[in-house]
Amino acid sequence: MTAATAPRSARPSRPPRSIVGPLGFLVFLAITWWASSEEFGLGVDVPRLIANLTRGADILAEFWPPDFSVVPRTIGPMLETIQIAVIASLIGCALALPIAFLASRVTSPNVATYLIDRGVLSVVRALPDVLYALIFVAALSIGPLPGILALILFNIAVVAKLLSETVDGVDPGPLEAARASGANRLLTVRWAVLPQVLPNYVAYSLYAFELNIRASAVLGIVGAGGIGNLINEYRRFFQYDNLLMVVIEILLLVIIVEWISIWLRRKLV
Amino acid sequence: MTARSSARPARPSQRTKHIATGLLVLVVAWAVLTVDVKIENLPALPGALARIFTRMFLDPSPEWSYFGEAFGSMMESVQIAWLGTIIGAILSLPLAFFGAKNITSRLVSNIVRQVLNAIRAIPEILVAVVVFIPMVGLGAFPGMLAIGVHSVGTLGKLSAEVIEGINPGPVEAARAAGGRPLQIQRWGVLPQVLPEVVAFWLYRFEINIRASAILGAVGAGGVGEALVQSLIYRRYDRAGMLIIVIIVVTILIDTASGWLRRRIIQGGGGAKPTAAALEDQAHLSMAMAGGDVGGGAGSDS
Repeated sequence: MTAATAPRSARPSRPPRSIVGPLGFLVFLAITWWASSEEFGLGVDVPRLIANLTRGADILAEFWPPDFSVVPRTIGPMLETIQIAVIASLIGCALALPIAFLASRVTSPNVATYLIDRGVLSVVRALPDVLYALIFVAALSIGPLPGILALILFNIAVVAKLLSETVDGVDPGPLEAARASGANRLLTVRWAVLPQVLPNYVAYSLYAFELNIRASAVLGIVGAGGIGNLINEYRRFFQYDNLLMVVIEILLLVIIVEWISIWLRRKLV
Repeated sequence: MTARSSARPARPSQRTKHIATGLLVLVVAWAVLTVDVKIENLPALPGALARIFTRMFLDPSPEWSYFGEAFGSMMESVQIAWLGTIIGAILSLPLAFFGAKNITSRLVSNIVRQVLNAIRAIPEILVAVVVFIPMVGLGAFPGMLAIGVHSVGTLGKLSAEVIEGINPGPVEAARAAGGRPLQIQRWGVLPQVLPEVVAFWLYRFEINIRASAILGAVGAGGVGEALVQSLIYRRYDRAGMLIIVIIVVTILIDTASGWLRRRIIQGGGGAKPTAAALEDQAHLSMAMAGGDVGGGAGSDS
């Protein structure tokens, strides 16, 4: 034993046993039973599931090898996927900036605005992007536009939430200085808060863009433009070799965008 | 990030910054100018959105008698998310030990981390479509399995980071007391990391509820399937009901799970601000690990 952890000869007395741990474990077991039981839940049958999985392995073998001849067909939809992500990130992150300021106790003009903004944000956050895409496709028919709109909402939810939490934690010194020199609320935000949170804002926006690339790759599955349309087509017609090629391309795109994003974050922040 | 020194140092070279900004502007210009969206259609956009909103929530009002069915399908999504998270937690915990530099070697941990990163890069909806729906057919199981596999990426990475931050004292003590390798991990490492790791599992569960709601759109069970059906048959009153149920249930579970996470990290009692700070920290590191804060396919992970 090292000197730092002062050795003690006598064993310390055992802390009293807490009931919280075992109780939590019981609740965990109850929920798990509820979720997997035949009557109330999914009816999980582990042996059958494993049998299905081993049998399904043969189907996966059909994926190999990937069909490189589909690459030319995928280039257009891949570019559209990138376009959707770029446009949605730009608009979504721009809109998120004022929304974030209104959603922070530090910069919100009054409690009502703060509470309403927070409430709206948590409602927007509760619906996932693909469900927004589904609804927008129903309203506007297929194409990249519903995808862009869905991701704009998603970006507002993500960036405004993260940024408002950052604004909550700013150094109050510059704020007081700006107020003392007679700045109004807008000027205070512009000169005392924005410079402090700008690096975070850029980082969150780049992060949102990375998420958008992944999301816009799958939004097409519900008809919202991009490479997802092709995924849907290939899976409907069981063209697994083509499907594998598309998945490889998406993986490459995601990894390359992640690298660029990390590089940009280092350069801009 | 927000540290300011009083004396202004010399301005560093801005060249790469300008190049990066220029490239960014070019990419944005390309995207905006060539995307397949007709500008002349945009003025009709607010009208179309208002129309569908009206038909979902106002005229006719959401079909309240459909509530039972809507709630049932949302519960199926919650069950898929719960079981998927358990699969992810079970698979990710051992991987996290292998992915921690201080437990294994630098080489092994790097390889494991790269594998976890690759898992993270593929959205769960793709995992479902490409792997599990072909293997086990449509229904709740492919959704559960896809969520489980996909969760391994983020959970493994975050848990590995927690393990790397442990206090080495208990590990040394366990070794000095003659513990075998597995016993050292069990008694020296696990008790230190478990609260934070369990908090990550809960956070992941919140994200997975959104993911499983999505998976229904490709036939993997749950509330997404019901929403797709109602939209296909233009039953907007039912779609409205489903959306209300999704939002309310998601927010309720988020709130309960968030409270529980704070309790777990805080260990009951204790100062409030510290807990809030920890919460933010967990939230951010989760977010930056691709934990997706918004929820969705791209989200996370």
